[in-house]
Amino acid sequence: MNAAMLLSALLSAPGGEGSGFDIGRMMAIIFAAIFVNNFVLSRFLGICPFIGVSKQLDSAIGMGAAVIFVLAMAALGTWVVYYLLLVPMGLGYLSTIAFILIIAALVQLVEMILLKYSPGLYRALGIYLPLITTNCAVLGVSVLNIGERYSLGESVVHAIAAGIGFTLALILMAGLRQKIEMTDIPPSLEGKPIAFIIAGTMSIAFLGFAGMGV
Amino acid sequence: MPEMMKLGIVLMSVSLVAAVALGLVNGQTAPVIAVQKEMARQAAMTAIASSLSPGDSLAFDSIEVEGLENPYAGVNEALEVVRVSAPPDPEALGYLFLAYGKGYSSTIQTMVAVDLEGVVTGSIILYQGETPGLGANVAQPDRLIGRLAGLTGGECLLKKDGGTIDAMTGCTITSRAVVGSVADGLESMRGAGLFGPAPVGGAS
Amino acid sequence: MSLAKDLVNGIFRENPIFRLTLGMCPFLAVTTSVRNALGMGAAAMFVLVCSNFLVSLLRNAIPSKVRIPCYIVIIATFVTLVDMVMNAYLPDLHRALGIFIPLIVVNCIILGRAEGFANRNPVLSSVADGIGMGIGFTLAMVVLASIRELLGNGTWLDINILGEAYTNQPLLIAILAPGAFILLGFILGFFNLMENRKRGRR
Repeated sequence: MNAAMLLSALLSAPGGEGSGFDIGRMMAIIFAAIFVNNFVLSRFLGICPFIGVSKQLDSAIGMGAAVIFVLAMAALGTWVVYYLLLVPMGLGYLSTIAFILIIAALVQLVEMILLKYSPGLYRALGIYLPLITTNCAVLGVSVLNIGERYSLGESVVHAIAAGIGFTLALILMAGLRQKIEMTDIPPSLEGKPIAFIIAGTMSIAFLGFAGMGV
Repeated sequence: MPEMMKLGIVLMSVSLVAAVALGLVNGQTAPVIAVQKEMARQAAMTAIASSLSPGDSLAFDSIEVEGLENPYAGVNEALEVVRVSAPPDPEALGYLFLAYGKGYSSTIQTMVAVDLEGVVTGSIILYQGETPGLGANVAQPDRLIGRLAGLTGGECLLKKDGGTIDAMTGCTITSRAVVGSVADGLESMRGAGLFGPAPVGGAS
Repeated sequence: MSLAKDLVNGIFRENPIFRLTLGMCPFLAVTTSVRNALGMGAAAMFVLVCSNFLVSLLRNAIPSKVRIPCYIVIIATFVTLVDMVMNAYLPDLHRALGIFIPLIVVNCIILGRAEGFANRNPVLSSVADGIGMGIGFTLAMVVLASIRELLGNGTWLDINILGEAYTNQPLLIAILAPGAFILLGFILGFFNLMENRKRGRR
């Protein structure tokens, strides 16, 4: 089996009937992950960093980028381990443990890379960088990819789109919160309460996409 | 180096114990899960097949149909058709099939009983993971799923898509998934020649 | 630190949801009905107590450098256990909770308590803490789930309270995603208000 055949088999399994690289399906997955089923505002995945890091626009963008990277790598790693290791050995039930360990290792890797190449961002993200491990979105995407039986290509695309959706929500939230700092809010609503209410209004806005036949 | 080894060994032993423990529990629970799935399936089949021939005890035979297209390629499940008959009479009374539709937050499985002319006689939701209190209501017999009886493949459409079925409020995606997947399955079966001529005017 | 104090701590003073703001993801997602909230609360509490127990038991045996991966494996094992048992014996609840069962692994509460409490406290205190946090988490979820189920479906634990007419035309938003965010915001604001009043401010 030469490399091209192997690659194409990897990219399309487990989608049967040679579904290969279907652009239409990809676009549907991307659109759904960013808008229709936005990971933060609709699926409730990734709330902790969403509320925690969304106070400043630049750290929001940095966090978003880090999360997209970890998401893509995690989707790749977990898919490969699940279909090429766990399933052939009948060990599907070990997926939760395997996935979270892969994610933890990946986050360690990202931390080391950032420390070496971008210490400013490393410091800005602070405690929230190792917390990407416990970001529900990362493990959530990996589990969803398996559940929806996406091929390798679809899984990675789904993960990146999920990350983009997360970053979009994060940036919108950061922008809004920076504006809110200057306004008059009832003191009992300052901080987290108003953040959640804003998130709720954004969620209503995103509900508008729900009627689209994706 | 020896410290790395020690750390690695500790982690490995913890993981090993974990894996063994899970293996044991899996041995216990996996068969239970499989049995339950099968029982749920059988119960659903019996429930709607009675619409084909009330009161008779029925036989279900999985059949292979030549030229049957898979309308569910998007969800990677093949269209399986089950032939229903009432022994000792070998004549087919109708068919059952499982439709897969991509809903809002899950792939909805709808089991449909259809007679020999391609008219739906009964349907039931086998699996759905939609929003509780909202899309999940599609499974209630007095809501969407009960409105499919008496329709042929061509008529199985939501009102907003030109048909006669009301979508549920706020659950367009869920409604479309169910209705569309049933319509696709019926069309595929008609294309494979399983049905006689469609009755004129629709409902029988 | 008496056992009773460890236990009650997690319910009020350090309630994981309303005070520590941990475990938000399942909290918002699963509270569409009180039954689901109770199921998730029970599952999370089981994992929390078991993992606190084991982490505390092994706290001197696991070297510090590799402790986080070990805790993760321990927690993930109990989560997988809960997943399998629920799938076999409580399939309806398993289906309703869906993806959030494996996500108990990344519930910040569990890893947070393992790292912040169980690894430096004796076994019994850790178990008490686990039970307390579990009760606090479940209680918080039942509060939100009650509001959402009542407003969004007219029922409470599937008992119809507001009448058939309401159930046919409920306040849908309460049960949809935005409702969770907005209601949580107001609940947190309410607690802040109580806190401020106690301290004499407005």
